Amino acid sequence: MAVQAGRARRLPSLGGERLREAGVGYAFVLIPLGVFVLLQLYPMAYAFYVSAHEWGGIEGNLGYVGLDNYRELRHDEAFWTWPPARATALWNTVYYALLVVPLQMTLGLTLALLVNQAIRGRTFFRSAYYFPALVSSAAASAIALYLLSADGLVNAVISAILGRDFTHPWFGDADTALESIIVLDAWTTSGTMMLFYLAALQSVPVDVYEAAAIDKAGTWRTFWKITFPLLKPAHFFVAVVSVIGALKFFDQAFIISTGSGGPAGSTMTAVLYVYTVTIKEFNYGYGATVGVVLFLIIFTITLAQRLLFGRSEIVY
Amino acid sequence: MSEREEVAPPVAAVRELALEGEAAVGTPVAIPPRTVAERTRRVVLFSFMIVVALLYLVPFVYTVATSLKTQAEAAAGFDLWPDRASLSAYREIWSREDLSFVTFFKNSLILATSITVITLFLATLGGYAFARLRFPLREPLFLLVLGTLMIPDQLRLVPVYLMMVDFPITGWNLTQTLHGYVFFGSSIALATSLFLMRQYFLTIPKDYEEAAKLDGAGYFKTYWRIMLPLAAPAVAAVAILTFQGIWNEFFWANLLLTGDNSNYTVQMGLVQFRFQYQTLWPQLMAATTIAIIPVLVVYVFFQRYFVAGVAAAGVKG
Repeated sequence: MAVQAGRARRLPSLGGERLREAGVGYAFVLIPLGVFVLLQLYPMAYAFYVSAHEWGGIEGNLGYVGLDNYRELRHDEAFWTWPPARATALWNTVYYALLVVPLQMTLGLTLALLVNQAIRGRTFFRSAYYFPALVSSAAASAIALYLLSADGLVNAVISAILGRDFTHPWFGDADTALESIIVLDAWTTSGTMMLFYLAALQSVPVDVYEAAAIDKAGTWRTFWKITFPLLKPAHFFVAVVSVIGALKFFDQAFIISTGSGGPAGSTMTAVLYVYTVTIKEFNYGYGATVGVVLFLIIFTITLAQRLLFGRSEIVY
Repeated sequence: MSEREEVAPPVAAVRELALEGEAAVGTPVAIPPRTVAERTRRVVLFSFMIVVALLYLVPFVYTVATSLKTQAEAAAGFDLWPDRASLSAYREIWSREDLSFVTFFKNSLILATSITVITLFLATLGGYAFARLRFPLREPLFLLVLGTLMIPDQLRLVPVYLMMVDFPITGWNLTQTLHGYVFFGSSIALATSLFLMRQYFLTIPKDYEEAAKLDGAGYFKTYWRIMLPLAAPAVAAVAILTFQGIWNEFFWANLLLTGDNSNYTVQMGLVQFRFQYQTLWPQLMAATTIAIIPVLVVYVFFQRYFVAGVAAAGVKG
């Protein structure tokens, strides 16, 4: 393999032209690849390295400790317990994912089906449903904090319906804090999921529906027998995006709990735990260890999803 | 992987993007309702869609309304609109001593713009090479690019932080500086953008380049003068999505910029304001509105690129 500078002199022969093209090709991808190596691959390898060391914020690298950090994590009751218990970082995250993923997928598909109809104001509805997805996590969290505060709009509406004063602090109670964030995230991400499903619905050939219409299949039947199975690649894609998003969930929990993961650890997510250990407790070695374990979990899940759903045509 | 296998949502959207003119994601032609039952069904459905739209939008209307209220009025009740709209909440947060939103706004604008320009240049250049130029190891290298999408942020948190505090070889501390964030931020949207650009370049017929070649244009000139203009819709999509992504970005900004107030982004300022002033609702909602407006403006003007771009690239934090 010959690498040649991009500004090489033009050669008349075919071989020279090939060489030149290859040289230019490498030159064009050089910087992007450099960025990936420096800011993605190197940190990834470095994470494994740091996790095998005792590494403090002030002391720096205190030496190789092998798998000690991993052993510590196995018995870390702030990270996880067996049997699973709430208020641990890992199980909070799993609980969050188990609720938010089906919610996002159902909402996304429903919205996509709604706006895929030939109906008046279609463009308006698409924009309206997508709008929350446009907004930053910080803005969405601030709005949720306002609406769901003890004397906020949501409680005012509930009070009006119940006919008595209702002042439940949604984010201030360990029993409803994470659940409220789940609703918030379903609201803000459903628009994105809708777009994914909409793109997939568009690529279902029209003659499939024509055939169904000729067979006099009803709307409901057509959906379950034809549309839903045809959307399999989209289900896979949306599920992967949704699960990965759920497992790296951080912003809303951090912002709403003022960085504490409270009340009573109810919004302590796995990534918030990595952040807390690293930035607040200056325990870099241990923080890297938690990160590596999370990566391995995500990797396994993605692999399992792929095996379960079969080889998908989607690239990632 | 061959091109034929990639018929899936993302790629379908790239094609839609290529079809300029009609809205990126189109729909079947309207069929007029025939029976009474059908009509009723449509009315019910339409009403349902209106209700959902209200649920999705009212929080934002209420946010803006509260930002125009005074502290007393916001505490008093739940009028959807203020009695006497005033911009006092905006004035208060715009140039505070401790948290100055005019500074945050400027920072966010600088960061989002410069990272967008860098991402655009690298993604189109790389995308063109991966789509069109033949060089050894092209496919494995492209898979490597896609593979970086699998590296989750939580794994990179510690190493990136360590790296940015004490950069290898040079020993620079790149945290708490805007240029440090620009440097790191350029990696955030690059892989998806490069992927999107490559897919788009693949849809452009080869004739254009061959014509350029006959005219004696070199590779860079072909890329700059022929391919880039032809890929304008995809370039627009990448630009808009990157800008929005960086404008909204909180995780890395919080990690890398925390410490020096004067380098905070709008999102960080908003969060700090909430941390310090808990329930000053009009001001907090004013800050929230400021954080939303730029992406709203971009969305209103470039909606169709947004829709196809999101579907194509799946960029969204």
